[in-house]
Amino acid sequence: MLLIAQGRLDFGAADEFQRQLEQALAGAGASPAMLIVDCAALDYVSSAGLRTFLLAAKTAQRAGIGFALCALQPAVREVFDVSGFSRIMAVLADRASALAQAPQPPA
Amino acid sequence: MRASRAVATAQDAELDTRGAVAPLTHEAPAPLIGSPLLRAAHTARSALRVRAEALLRPDRRFGNAFENLILALIVLSVASVIVESTPGLPAWTKPVFHIEELIVVAVFSFEYLLRIAAAKRIRDFIFSFQGAVDLIAIAPFFLAGIDTRAVRALRLLRLLRVLKLQTRILENTVTERTHELAEKNASLARAHAQLNAELEVARALQVAILPSSFPVKPGCDGAARMIPATTMGGDFYDFIELPDGRIGLVMADVSGKGVPAAFFMAVARTNLRERAVHHAEPGVCLAQTNEVLCAQNPMDLFVTVFYCVFDPVTGVLKYANGGHNPPYVRRADGSVEALRGRGGLVLGAMPGIEYPEHTVQLLPGDRLVLFTDGITEAFNPADEAYGEERLIAEVRTHGDGAAAALVERICRSVTVFAGSAPQSDDITLTVLRWDTPR
Repeated sequence: MLLIAQGRLDFGAADEFQRQLEQALAGAGASPAMLIVDCAALDYVSSAGLRTFLLAAKTAQRAGIGFALCALQPAVREVFDVSGFSRIMAVLADRASALAQAPQPPA
Repeated sequence: MRASRAVATAQDAELDTRGAVAPLTHEAPAPLIGSPLLRAAHTARSALRVRAEALLRPDRRFGNAFENLILALIVLSVASVIVESTPGLPAWTKPVFHIEELIVVAVFSFEYLLRIAAAKRIRDFIFSFQGAVDLIAIAPFFLAGIDTRAVRALRLLRLLRVLKLQTRILENTVTERTHELAEKNASLARAHAQLNAELEVARALQVAILPSSFPVKPGCDGAARMIPATTMGGDFYDFIELPDGRIGLVMADVSGKGVPAAFFMAVARTNLRERAVHHAEPGVCLAQTNEVLCAQNPMDLFVTVFYCVFDPVTGVLKYANGGHNPPYVRRADGSVEALRGRGGLVLGAMPGIEYPEHTVQLLPGDRLVLFTDGITEAFNPADEAYGEERLIAEVRTHGDGAAAALVERICRSVTVFAGSAPQSDDITLTVLRWDTPR
């Protein structure tokens, strides 16, 4: 399943985004084998935004669902690098490489 | 009791202001004599009005009983008008109806006078629908007396008391709803005020538990400032005096906002402080604090922490970074560099994480600048971020003086930049100055 994130993910947007991530992970009927979040149009992530990704990664791991982010803008990638999040979740260069491989859930 | 008194006072005041206006229009020629008298009359009138209004309130015991009495009398009197007009009733019924009518009119008249007394504007009441109906309900009696020769039409007019029933039901519904609404609004306002007050207290506590002074060490000095955001954030800094003479410096930012973030901040700070006193190694302190935070984290929050231990004798700075923006070192020549070794995971996200330690040698005249993203991500009304370049420029240009001066300089620069834009995140900054080696 592919989720496209767009705009600014700050404190105000975090709740709604988290709800959508949870919905995507729950899936319609059966849960998906993998969830990829395309961040090409994601302009900004605050710490509250990071938290939504962490929650989703944890949920995915518990459910045995693959979870990956792809196509991060440099500023957003920087936030993931500084916070160490890119070490605990799959952050891939673009959508093609994300779709090509099915990364294991973070250890 | 207290509540009703407060209401009465408010109404008095309201009426008094009207009283101050009224004499000017009516008694303008003789204000000196007229106004005190009028004022006294107004005061008496307002006291009467408040009392009458209180008597009529359906949510009080008297008002409620009175209301029920009136309802019963309306039904009774309408029924008896109908029964009375049927021919062939026994003679003894006549005085019974007579007495009943007397009681009904007496009570209705009392109610009419009470309503006039309670009215904010008497004229408005008299000419209102309810006022007219109330008058019609008693008028036939006063027009015809209890004279048995009374015009039949006038007596039948008493049937119009049915209207009284209708206005009463309508009025009651409206009064009830108005009261309910007022009460709900009041309790909402109270809850909101209480919440705001508690948030204020929490914010004050958040600032108050931060250290206000830097440990006294020869050759070095430090200063810090935290400007909390309007919605409560979770930044904190700390200065910890270690047993071996070194100083621990903490800069941290809890994810999220509000009371949960503040609680998490307090737990993180206390734990880190406790570990710092017992372990000299920053990496070990962060790893152990992370374990504690992961174990007690019902809200799945996390905190970015930069923790360093500075030796004011040798100038050696040992640090570990748990996902925080790297601090800057400003060298004596004005050059500014970010400390290497980033990418350690934030604390509270996942247990079993190790935090590598790094070391940097500070030289005399160097400054260490620790900050949170509340500075670099302070936005101005045009939605531009303050950014790292502006911060680096401030540090480079104004980093020569005392630590406190640079802290003030940067905070002012950020607030001027943000202008009227609301501060969405805590702004936190620490500067360490090291000047003379020993």
